[in-house]
Amino acid sequence: MTAFRLGDAEVADTFAEAFPMRYARLVITAATEAWALEAARSMTGFATSVIGCKCEAAIERALDPRDTPDGRPGVAVLLFAMDREGVGKRVLERVGQSVMTCPTTACFDGLPEAERTVPLGHSLRYFGDGFQASKVIAGERFWRIPVMEGEFLVCESVGVGRGVGGGNLVIGAGDEDAALAAAQAAVGAMRGEGIALPFPGGIVRSGSKVGSLTSKSMPASTNHQMAPTLRVQVEDTLVPDGVGAMFEIVIDGVSEDAVREAMRRGLHAAAAAGATHVTAANFGGKLGEFHFPLSELREAP
Amino acid sequence: MTLTLTLRSDPPARVDAAPLIPERLRGLAPSEIAALEVRCGGEMLAVGDLFDVSGTADDGLVLAGDLRRFDGIGAGMSGGAIEVRGDVGAWAGAEMSGGVLRIFGDAGARLGAARPGARVGMTGGEIVVTGGAGEEAGAGMRRGLVAVGGRTGAGSGLRMLAGTVIAVGGIGEEAGLGNKRGSLVSGRRVEPLPAYEFAARIHPPALGLQLRRVRELGLAVDDALLRGPWARWSGDRTQLTRGEILVFDGENGGR
Repeated sequence: MTAFRLGDAEVADTFAEAFPMRYARLVITAATEAWALEAARSMTGFATSVIGCKCEAAIERALDPRDTPDGRPGVAVLLFAMDREGVGKRVLERVGQSVMTCPTTACFDGLPEAERTVPLGHSLRYFGDGFQASKVIAGERFWRIPVMEGEFLVCESVGVGRGVGGGNLVIGAGDEDAALAAAQAAVGAMRGEGIALPFPGGIVRSGSKVGSLTSKSMPASTNHQMAPTLRVQVEDTLVPDGVGAMFEIVIDGVSEDAVREAMRRGLHAAAAAGATHVTAANFGGKLGEFHFPLSELREAP
Repeated sequence: MTLTLTLRSDPPARVDAAPLIPERLRGLAPSEIAALEVRCGGEMLAVGDLFDVSGTADDGLVLAGDLRRFDGIGAGMSGGAIEVRGDVGAWAGAEMSGGVLRIFGDAGARLGAARPGARVGMTGGEIVVTGGAGEEAGAGMRRGLVAVGGRTGAGSGLRMLAGTVIAVGGIGEEAGLGNKRGSLVSGRRVEPLPAYEFAARIHPPALGLQLRRVRELGLAVDDALLRGPWARWSGDRTQLTRGEILVFDGENGGR
């Protein structure tokens, strides 16, 4: 595989392959930023891969009280699934279990301009057991669900947008400390508006391949080509010489552009933070609608 | 550009201003609007005889002047925006179903209320009054928001079905009689009717959004009201006990 250099890093001339997904943005507010973060972390927990968790979700960013509907500290969360129905089911489950349960929170739609919506408060209101009440405020319906603390306020529905899921970077260095430091630097540069990095700390160390060598029933198994311990054992290793550990960063974004620019920021940050090799995962280009060639990310952000 | 009607001189009798809503004026030339007739006492008068007409009619309408003899301003409107610069008479926004009516002045009796004999008053939209309002504001209301910067007169929210009446300066006596699911909000301490019972001191999240919204629409709302807390009184107990009177219970609440 050909490559180009970016600082001290060798960047493979390959591409990340990504898929169309649907997403929702929720704005969770609470009496303090700490409680808003608790709700957001709980809501985005166990949402790393759509294959195993039915959705991918992450905190997008913290919101200043001036930028939230109720003037309290808030957190914006992005949740991705393969279709609108999936987004609707996961949002309802997670807001019901992780946001409504969390002290002092309220939950708002972060995509009020979206053409398509899925019900949220419209369904969740039944938890109110007949004691729920609604208010239409500035043309938007909200539900007031009585809870032991007082009331949980939740929007009637949430907008669903068309996003892109599965953008990625694979970052390698001489040992796991150096590779992790470079990956963390990349994560720090990539997070922001329009971007969700759904894995723990934004980083996945068990990158997968489709299917398995040993079982017909496994939908995915370890990416043996990128496991440094198997470099000698397997004939098709992709671990470059001198690389002792690799980490993948999976990127879901609200648009192709958002994903591309996040990858650009991540690539340059990783190269500046000690990555010796950067590559990307794809499926030969046949599965995903969106291709992000690393060679197009040479220019610094 | 918005259509502006500026009052020339006091009309000889009370005027029914209900025809002057954006949806009925949209697309008309100023000369056509000046030729429209409204009822003034026992006769019909041309709009042009009462007002100077300027601008073009779109979704917005501005009425300026001392309009205390004009009843039914914005009554029945279903969309668009009316801004009134001055005091208005009775029945402003009566049976309104949508849009925004902003009155920079005082409103008379039965603001946003049901017409005589009708069960249901306002069914949607927003009314904001920077001054005070007369008796029975929001009577029979089913949906929507009436917000008053000053006080409301007696009997606010009479036989209210749902919706919200906010009186930053305090709701008048005997508020919420026969209220089913409506919310009455008093920015000053009041003693609700015996048909209401104290439930809890809370920070109602929906009220926070509503107060922010009325501030956006031009009402002065003290930060203390946004901080709360509010005493929630439930009633009317002769009805469903699903309505509420929220009384500000925070700092300086007893002023």
